[in-house]
Amino acid sequence: MNSILERIAACVENGKVNMKSPYPPSMRGQEGADELTAEALKEGLTPTEILDLGLIPGMNAIGLKFSENRAFVPEMLMAAKAMSTAMLHLKPYFASGDIEYKGVIVIGTVSGDLHDIGKNLVGMAMEGAGWRVIDLGVDVSAGRFISAVEENPGCVVGLSALLTTTMLNMESIVRELKERFGMLKILVGGAPLNQEFCTRIGADYYGRSSQGAIAYLNSLQDATGQ
Amino acid sequence: MDKRRYNPDFNQLVKIFRREKADRPVLFEYFMNGELFSHITGLSFEELTDPMDKIRMITRAFYLLGYDYVTIPSRYLTGFSFEAAGHEKKETVSLNEGAVINDRNSFESYNWPVPEEGSYRLLEDVTGILPEGMKVIVPGPGGVLENVIYLVGFESLCFMIFEDEDLAKDIFDAVGARLLRFYEIVSSYDSVGALIVNDDWGFKNQTMLSPDTLRRMVFPWQKKIVEAIHRNGKYAVLHSCGNISDVMDDIIEDMKFDAKHSFEDNIVPVERAYEMWGRRIAIMGGIDMDFLVRSTPDEITMRAGNILRLTDSKGYALGSGNSIPPYVPVENYMAMIYAATR
Repeated sequence: MNSILERIAACVENGKVNMKSPYPPSMRGQEGADELTAEALKEGLTPTEILDLGLIPGMNAIGLKFSENRAFVPEMLMAAKAMSTAMLHLKPYFASGDIEYKGVIVIGTVSGDLHDIGKNLVGMAMEGAGWRVIDLGVDVSAGRFISAVEENPGCVVGLSALLTTTMLNMESIVRELKERFGMLKILVGGAPLNQEFCTRIGADYYGRSSQGAIAYLNSLQDATGQ
Repeated sequence: MDKRRYNPDFNQLVKIFRREKADRPVLFEYFMNGELFSHITGLSFEELTDPMDKIRMITRAFYLLGYDYVTIPSRYLTGFSFEAAGHEKKETVSLNEGAVINDRNSFESYNWPVPEEGSYRLLEDVTGILPEGMKVIVPGPGGVLENVIYLVGFESLCFMIFEDEDLAKDIFDAVGARLLRFYEIVSSYDSVGALIVNDDWGFKNQTMLSPDTLRRMVFPWQKKIVEAIHRNGKYAVLHSCGNISDVMDDIIEDMKFDAKHSFEDNIVPVERAYEMWGRRIAIMGGIDMDFLVRSTPDEITMRAGNILRLTDSKGYALGSGNSIPPYVPVENYMAMIYAATR
């Protein structure tokens, strides 16, 4: 593999944003994901190569550490920040169609619930895995999810909730979405949830971690041959 | 409701804190809600405006329900708290909203509360209404980490820890020093038997910050707070939600809390927690909130009875995994404590 791609992956994994960033101390004064991505484009690497062989492996590595409790939310956020900075260089290529997202996922915390940390983290991890994430924010009603699905045919939906009481709002949202969009796949997650609840309300996937959710999304992509 | 089966005796709770066997089952809750207090006392909690009237009613409800103490939220007692910008509140709040400190300037210009300027008179006045044998348990106005998150915002704090560690450390120290003073003052009152350090440290899968960061920024202050509580001869209960298994040794061996409260079946069920840590720290409550809300009263009484049998009331007090907010059905709550009071 091209060594600059390995360095980009290392920057994302370790949350090294740019040259000025003091984090991580072991990479102080070195180029970050920002400068290296610009360099890689100048060297003639394609945006797809940078995404598939640099950024995504970096996010996968930190995601694996996170799922094994060898990294924590602050480290994940720094990795996501490094990834986002690099993605700014690739945005024009997404706009022109030179590279494509793996798919679109609409995420949101369900009505009555303002908790956003878990949702944000999962969203960042999905973006880092090559998915376009449309984040509807918090306290999202069924109507807003329906509008977003209408605007993004073929998308997947992810619902988040923190409390026993607010997760009950997932049931009606899932029902309304499924009635309207029969083939729509819906992921659910959040502190009080479990597989039994997911099955009972008719959602398609329950995940304890963002890694599991990404594996599920990628399996959908494989199944549809996108 | 006007009778309880046994007289209040705070010493029974002390036995739990010391991981000794109590003479009978002992109840513990972090806090309960006004609707329940109204239901139990037959009076309207919401119509009361005077803090002392509210404390009187809360005390009456705790007494009638069979507790050996009453928890009184610090907002009724002191007026000491860290003010942030407004947080929108629904059934949950965002940990990212309402931040007021984002750089050195806003840190230095923040209007830091002065614990000594709080009003603690009610801790003396409450002595006149406490039934014999009962003590007061006081939680703090949030903990060290909770208040820093409140002031900075969680995600901003995560970045600050890596990008401006000195500022992050200064904010933790500013909050920690003031909370320490609060606990020193409150634990000195005779009416107070124990204090709750209420500071959530965990998400469902792991601690909110790495254990290393917690050890550098948060735990040194918690250790000083527990030392201050112990110096005044009182007991320290940690109420901390989320998965904090990785730092339980710190809680027990380094900070030396007497008791741990807040358990969730999705993380470590309380029965398992008692097996894992019950010989080293008292285990309080733990009947899972989701279980408490969605199970039948019979199922709840059975589980509560089982854990009382499992623990034989040695280093364990019965209660919920978190608290009794209004969404816990009254009949389900009553089914839980029935296992101890029947």
